[in-house]
Amino acid sequence: MAANPEAVRPERSAADERYVFIDDVTKEFDGFVAVDDVSLSIRKGEIFALLGGSGCGKSTLLRCLAGFEKPTTGRILLDGQPMNDLPPYERPINMMFQSYALFPHMTVEQNVAFGLKQDGMPKPDIKRRVEEMLNLVQMVKFAGRKPHQLSGGQQQRVALARSLAKSPKLLLLDEPMGALDKKLRSQMQLELVNIVEKLGVTCVMVTHDQEEAMTMATRIALMDSGRIRQVGTPDEIYEQPTSRFAAEFIGSVNIIEGVIKDDEKDFVTIQSAALAHLIHIGHGISGFEGQRVNFALRPEKITVTKDEPADAHNKAQGVIEDIAYFGSHSVFHVRLPSGTRLMAHFANRKRWASENFTWTDKVWLSWGDNAGVVLPA
Amino acid sequence: MNTLKRWLNTAKSHSRWAVISVPYLWMLLFFAVPFLIVLKISFAYQVVAIPPYTGLLELADQSVLMKLNLTNYLQLMVEDKYIDAYLNSIQIAGISTLLCLLIGYPMAYTIARLPPTSRNIALMLVILPSWISFLIRIYAWMGILQTNGLLNKLLLGIGIIDTPLRIMNTPLAAYIGIVYAYLPFMILPLYANLVKLDLRLLEAAYDLGARPWKAFLTITLPLSRRGIVAGCMLVMIPAVGEYVIPELLGGPSTRMIGRQLANEFFVAGNWPMASAVAIVMLLLLMVPILIFNHIQGKEMEGRLT
Ligand SMILES: Nc1ncnc2c1ncn2[C@@H]1O[C@H](COP(=O)(O)OP(=O)(O)OP(=O)(O)O)[C@@H](O)[C@H]1O
Ligand SMILES: [Mg+2]
Repeated sequence: MAANPEAVRPERSAADERYVFIDDVTKEFDGFVAVDDVSLSIRKGEIFALLGGSGCGKSTLLRCLAGFEKPTTGRILLDGQPMNDLPPYERPINMMFQSYALFPHMTVEQNVAFGLKQDGMPKPDIKRRVEEMLNLVQMVKFAGRKPHQLSGGQQQRVALARSLAKSPKLLLLDEPMGALDKKLRSQMQLELVNIVEKLGVTCVMVTHDQEEAMTMATRIALMDSGRIRQVGTPDEIYEQPTSRFAAEFIGSVNIIEGVIKDDEKDFVTIQSAALAHLIHIGHGISGFEGQRVNFALRPEKITVTKDEPADAHNKAQGVIEDIAYFGSHSVFHVRLPSGTRLMAHFANRKRWASENFTWTDKVWLSWGDNAGVVLPA
Repeated sequence: MNTLKRWLNTAKSHSRWAVISVPYLWMLLFFAVPFLIVLKISFAYQVVAIPPYTGLLELADQSVLMKLNLTNYLQLMVEDKYIDAYLNSIQIAGISTLLCLLIGYPMAYTIARLPPTSRNIALMLVILPSWISFLIRIYAWMGILQTNGLLNKLLLGIGIIDTPLRIMNTPLAAYIGIVYAYLPFMILPLYANLVKLDLRLLEAAYDLGARPWKAFLTITLPLSRRGIVAGCMLVMIPAVGEYVIPELLGGPSTRMIGRQLANEFFVAGNWPMASAVAIVMLLLLMVPILIFNHIQGKEMEGRLT
């Protein structure tokens, strides 16, 4: 579902790589640092997500892009042009607001036409453009309605049409799905990505919902207390987190604390009080013997078996403490002799497959040499 | 069990009626009945008696005769002094309302944008003067506006003018007094409306390319229409019938309908004429009220469909 930047733009120039350039931006509110020295390059045509927990500063950064907040220090460039001194009404940037901020006294049509009118576009052109936009979001039927006569999903379509009408160089989305229920959310995520891709507009979105960021964005910047912790494609962030924070923020993960025992060129072992065996990593890492590390292992990378797996380097025996059934898979919470609990996914490939296991069963957990990630402690 | 439930339900609907009927009874007693009495008197003849007017019904030859005197109303329509007084009242009230709006809107807007703590102080300052008796405040204005009053002394002292301005006993003084007295009634409904304005709507307007002034005209102003209408009604309606301010500040040159009414009643002792003046004034005021209700009703309809 996520937009594929390679497909949209087969070749990118250096300027396109830095289409939006956020350069050492800091934003302070009387002494409180909401955005802390953030630098980001956003490519032309991509959907870029700012992901983070409540209060991490993602909305503030977005508002700096829109021009509602002035960075305390740092620069923002769009397509090579400095934005810092432009007021919001002079920036070629439009925003779809959280909870939409549709003008309640105007019809759908007037809402979409509002931005075009400010540019002094001739009336027939406005009419044509509004119709085009309403067509795009399938809201032509509702052109004469007022916002309060629309459902949440319909309001969102209007808000999207309104923010796209002026063909902005940059589209900003603030928690675009925040006001929708779960079912509508996944449908609108798909639709929004399709529309944005169709128009090829560059898009920065803010969300606290990791699933939303993963499904919609080409790249994600993970934020924490005003700082960027990691930037990458959804699979990079998921499979190759660079910090314990990133690993824990996205998806669920088992963190095993340990110390590097052998640090060889093509393999590494980690000794951990949690496990009876050494953890064997099938590649070299940039660490040193004796270094304290966190070993991050996603639950779905663990295989659950009744019998001891013969050929695995990495295995541990434990007792099932808890089973959570999710339909497509079950999550086993397995307690190791050391007292450590590990989560392991069990795919319910056959019907009733997980019934082979039950509480207090002794099971074996095993994982491959490249299944986990070693993170600095 | 069921009977108990039914009984509770009836009791509930009875109590609902009781709650509604109290204000209606109040209106009936203190608005409808006096209105009907005044209406009745307006069709009577003036006589020298107690009370100084005739009854409408006469018993003669075994029949009840109803005699309506229309001369009061005819007089109102043809005599210049009445027509002038009405037009003057409407003009003075209209201009005062406009001035209140022009002064009150920026004030209400500014107060609504203050941080919450200073907002309450500012509102307090708007309301505070009304804790002092209305008459005392008007007398204070007389002291300010008189030929040898504070204002003239100040202006002369600074040297802006060299002969004192004659403000007292001119329509200007009446305008100053009315605008001063009714300004809070404009500010409060406007404030209540403007403070609710969702500021994100303004951000959305800026975002779409509207300059601040344009955003004000296209977003803030239309969305505060209810507050404007409410404020204008609250100022306009009592201002039309204003008696004390034009009497004390405006002097004889400010002819408003309130003075005319008082003249008929206290000086000429013509109760029927005074009543007719009051009834016509009421009808004149009904027009804007009905328009207002109509607009509001329409808006409600739009909201429901
Ligand atoms: N105008 C302001 N004045 C003072 N502090 C502010 C202001 N705006 C934001 N902050 C502070 O900056 C921090 C970041 O706020 P921001 O709105 O960017 O968070 P967020 O990441 O969008 O969180 P959420 O998901 O809850 O919306 C918060 O601690 C907030 O209290
Ligand atoms: Mg936010």
